[in-house]
Amino acid sequence: MKTPLSWLKRYVDIDVPLDELCNRMVLCGFEVDEVTDLSETMEGVVTGIIQKIEKHPDADKLVVCQIDVGGERPLQIVTGATNVFEGAMVPVAMHKSRLPNGQKIEKGKLRGVLSEGMLCSGEELNLKESDYPGAGVYGILILHEDCPAGTDLRDILGLRDVIIDFAVTANRPDCNSIIGIAREVAAVLGKKLRMPEIGYTEKGGDIHEHISVRVEDFDLCPRYWGAVVRNIRMAPSPKWMQECLNAAGMRPINNIVDITNFVMLETGQPMHAFDLRDVRGAQIIVRRAKAGERIQTLDEKEYDLSEDMLVIADAQGPSCLAGIMGSLNSEIKPDTKEIFFESAKFRRDSVRHTARELGIRTEASARYEKGMDIMNAEFAMKRALTLIDELDAGDIVSGHYDLNQGLPAPREIVVTADAVNELLGLSVPGEEMARILNSLEIPTTFENGVLRASIPSFRDDMEGRADIAEEVIREYGYEHIEGKPLLGAATRGLKLGTRPDDDKVKSRLVSAGLREIETYSFISAAAVDLLNLPADDYRRQAVPILNPLSEETAVLRTQMVSSMLRVLSTNMSRKAPAARLFEVARRFLPHALPMTEQPDEKPTASIGIYGAGSDFFELKGILEGLFAAFRIKAVFERSKETYLHPGKSADAIYEGETLASFGELHPLVAANYGFDQKVYVAEIYLDVLYRLASREVDLFAPLPKYPAVERDLALICDQELPAASLEEAIRKGGGIILEKVTLFDVYQGAQIEAGKKSVAYSLLFRSADGTLTDKEIDTALAGIFANLNSIGAVLRT
Amino acid sequence: MREQIEQIRREALEALSKTNLPKDLEELRVRYLGKKGALTAILKQMGGLSAEERPKIGQLANEARQDIEKMLTEKARELKEKELALRLEKEKIDITLPGKQPPKGSYHPLSLTLEAMLDIFRSMGFDIIDGPEVETDYYNFEALNVPKDHPARDMQDTFYLGENLVLRTQTSGMQIHAMEARKPPIRVIAPGKTYRVDEDSTHSPMFHQIEGLVVDKGVDLCQLKGILEQFAREVYGPETKVRFRPSFFPFTEPSVEVDVSCFSCGGKGCRTCKGTGWIEILGAGMVHPHVLEQCGIDPNEYTGFAFGIGLERLTMTRHKITDIRLLFENDVRFLEQFDK
Repeated sequence: MKTPLSWLKRYVDIDVPLDELCNRMVLCGFEVDEVTDLSETMEGVVTGIIQKIEKHPDADKLVVCQIDVGGERPLQIVTGATNVFEGAMVPVAMHKSRLPNGQKIEKGKLRGVLSEGMLCSGEELNLKESDYPGAGVYGILILHEDCPAGTDLRDILGLRDVIIDFAVTANRPDCNSIIGIAREVAAVLGKKLRMPEIGYTEKGGDIHEHISVRVEDFDLCPRYWGAVVRNIRMAPSPKWMQECLNAAGMRPINNIVDITNFVMLETGQPMHAFDLRDVRGAQIIVRRAKAGERIQTLDEKEYDLSEDMLVIADAQGPSCLAGIMGSLNSEIKPDTKEIFFESAKFRRDSVRHTARELGIRTEASARYEKGMDIMNAEFAMKRALTLIDELDAGDIVSGHYDLNQGLPAPREIVVTADAVNELLGLSVPGEEMARILNSLEIPTTFENGVLRASIPSFRDDMEGRADIAEEVIREYGYEHIEGKPLLGAATRGLKLGTRPDDDKVKSRLVSAGLREIETYSFISAAAVDLLNLPADDYRRQAVPILNPLSEETAVLRTQMVSSMLRVLSTNMSRKAPAARLFEVARRFLPHALPMTEQPDEKPTASIGIYGAGSDFFELKGILEGLFAAFRIKAVFERSKETYLHPGKSADAIYEGETLASFGELHPLVAANYGFDQKVYVAEIYLDVLYRLASREVDLFAPLPKYPAVERDLALICDQELPAASLEEAIRKGGGIILEKVTLFDVYQGAQIEAGKKSVAYSLLFRSADGTLTDKEIDTALAGIFANLNSIGAVLRT
Repeated sequence: MREQIEQIRREALEALSKTNLPKDLEELRVRYLGKKGALTAILKQMGGLSAEERPKIGQLANEARQDIEKMLTEKARELKEKELALRLEKEKIDITLPGKQPPKGSYHPLSLTLEAMLDIFRSMGFDIIDGPEVETDYYNFEALNVPKDHPARDMQDTFYLGENLVLRTQTSGMQIHAMEARKPPIRVIAPGKTYRVDEDSTHSPMFHQIEGLVVDKGVDLCQLKGILEQFAREVYGPETKVRFRPSFFPFTEPSVEVDVSCFSCGGKGCRTCKGTGWIEILGAGMVHPHVLEQCGIDPNEYTGFAFGIGLERLTMTRHKITDIRLLFENDVRFLEQFDK
């Protein structure tokens, strides 16, 4: 709430410095967003009257002016503007002055002629045509003021005030008004709030002869107040009112419009004035719109209305979106003679809904959405009529409409002081609580330990003990709250859900030399295209965000590889020679689209690696290590993922389920991302890993007592035969005494027949029962050879 | 013969003392003590001695042999030591050359900060729980005292996914899950990703909150402050002060913003705290009676407090990170700075 200090002082005496006022308001719940001293916007700019204009001796496009600025002698200023004339009053930025844009003006010579300052255009003074007539003209601003030369321009433009912008929380719509803020200031400073006095004279006639008003939907419009003013005497509003409006950032227009704006800012209640000529059938009907109805609003836009929207209609149709915006034709005009004034309470959720539906947001709708005080509708109207009378802006017709279905009775909150103190953990005396509540204009008594607070209508937010406690403590002072320990058993808390497993994954991957990254859960819908996923791939069914920030963040990810690839791409393009990264997060798999229930959120990890020395087997090793941490020994099959190199990728399988897909990125996908080096990625399905993990404690196995015997085998086989088959054959043939099989060489090339490869293993035999004999080992080897031969592998000779 | 022996001994010892090379040593051993050596030659002549003389000369010769052998041993050890010293000297390396590093892994700074926070709260007996990032309108808003078309919905710009589904804008919905799943006394922390339509140097559309909830008999504002003071001191140092300022959240009443004394200037006022001496770190309050009732907890019997900490802000102040976007860009040069 932008609050001009001068306006605030109309209702409350402020006898503390500005800093202290702000600080005390912050500590009772009103954060200060900004303090603007308007007088700091410019300095050294005064009114000047041009006495003489002469041609510049050396420049065709410049003239030399002699200007009276109220000093002993006129200033000489050179200008290139063509709209100046002798006798004109103009803004003069004198030597060492400062303009609103920060520009400093000093005297100097222009083409050899002394210039003791600068004449300013409207733009240079940060004024628009709407701020000052003529400000939009190209050239020097010509002032129309009745003041002596040398008058500081800030006095003319009303730039003397201090504006405090208070942040008003959503529970306090009453403070979106100068009076609301004044009430808080009065409580904080221990002062009395001076409410503006109400009093006006009705000038005869009968409102019913001018207009009939009917409310058809009291649910959406609980109260509707109306009055008629005739013989409108349209004129500028008085200087004090214009200054208030200017300081609050509102442009004064004429007495009638200014009164509605002034009252809105002063009381918080939006007012609306209809030109009675344009109220067709002299009828006002507050009703829901009918299907198919349209309205053309003030901003000259057409809107289709629906039946859940409240309108103010006349005999022929909607003329106003209730609480949001008036229509073009019923607006006040310069020649308006009779007006109908509206001050109403509309239901906040209805206004909010309609405004959102139509995409309109106005000062009035913003206020209605936050909630209006039903009693304030009457006060605001009476205040407006008082001002009409005071400003002699028209004649108030006798009578008024106040349509409602009963006004709410004051509510009472009854609570013991002890109960309030229990919540606070303090022992504030009940009398002090009552004093505080009364200072906030919440009439409260305290008797026999019980507080009885009569809640005024502007404090709709207050419902019970907790609200009383809040009012008390914010005025009593939060500094009285002193830290106390929590009571109860002190046991160490547990990590629940997948967190302990997530921690283990992270720890393993960090130990493997990978760095953790954090990426957004939402990605581009096109990301799956970059991965060349098949048209029927389930990961193409991603949850779309209905209001995304950008196309890059339009859907919830169904896989994590593409986020990883983007990060690798960023690093590669920034010339990072290598990157070894991982992420642990969730992917989101909808049950159906459009979504009617929450999607599955599956814990998932990704790994991405590039740089010298990286290859498929490094990545495979990392995964094997990770699985080992969960007591899982996976088997590896060729992967069918379309984003992976078909020959250099694998799925890790355990108990028939895929734990991970990984390998070198497919060259086509690599090209999509602009990679110029080989990239290795993995997607790890942590939900599967966690479910299949064995969580048993490791049991000790006795250390071997007898020596081992080592034998090396060099085999020749078809190059397509997987090493895993060889190893399986060896293991099955070796039997129980074969302790370990280690592959130590794979060779293809000269000395080996084309299409074949040589594979070398080191075998370790050991028995738990005694030292092995040559015969036992030969028997085992014979079994191994038989198995190997059956799959086409022979000893290399 | 005595003289001969004595001479051999003297010669041998002198020669040994001058020797510097192991091979010379061996040569001397052969020359004096070998089968064809000088001393052996003398001993061979002993046959011509009288029975009386023989043992004496024998003893003399033995003594000479022992002296020479002792000297040989000593000299050998000395030479070996010298040789070793020489070799070690030759093997000297430049110890200022850089150490060899295995590939280094690291945690993201958000994880580091979160882990430190969880440790603090676990030590105070809080269980750490998790919940869905895609929430129903009920858990994200309605149950938290924010009905449809309520102005408080404007406090958070929401990403919508469907009629009733949103990306959670706050971890506060976890309060509801926790109160539905547990009975008082409740003491939980719910960290997690949250989402709002917002993006600039201090806001990210995805960010993390750490939600805390305590519900029990006799829980009050002073205990809330006690917990937060303990937390703030662990994070920002033992001298840190905590200040409550009144505020508004629909699901707490009273609600407070929580400031800590500025960790840059200690509260004197500086650029970090914009001269106020205080830095806002979190929002908190006493659980709103409506919220307790909604979860089937009698607000006349039980009270509670809740707080929500922004993990990004905490991490940024902790590591003096200037732009929130750095956290999600994952430049390796950024990640490498958090190795410890």
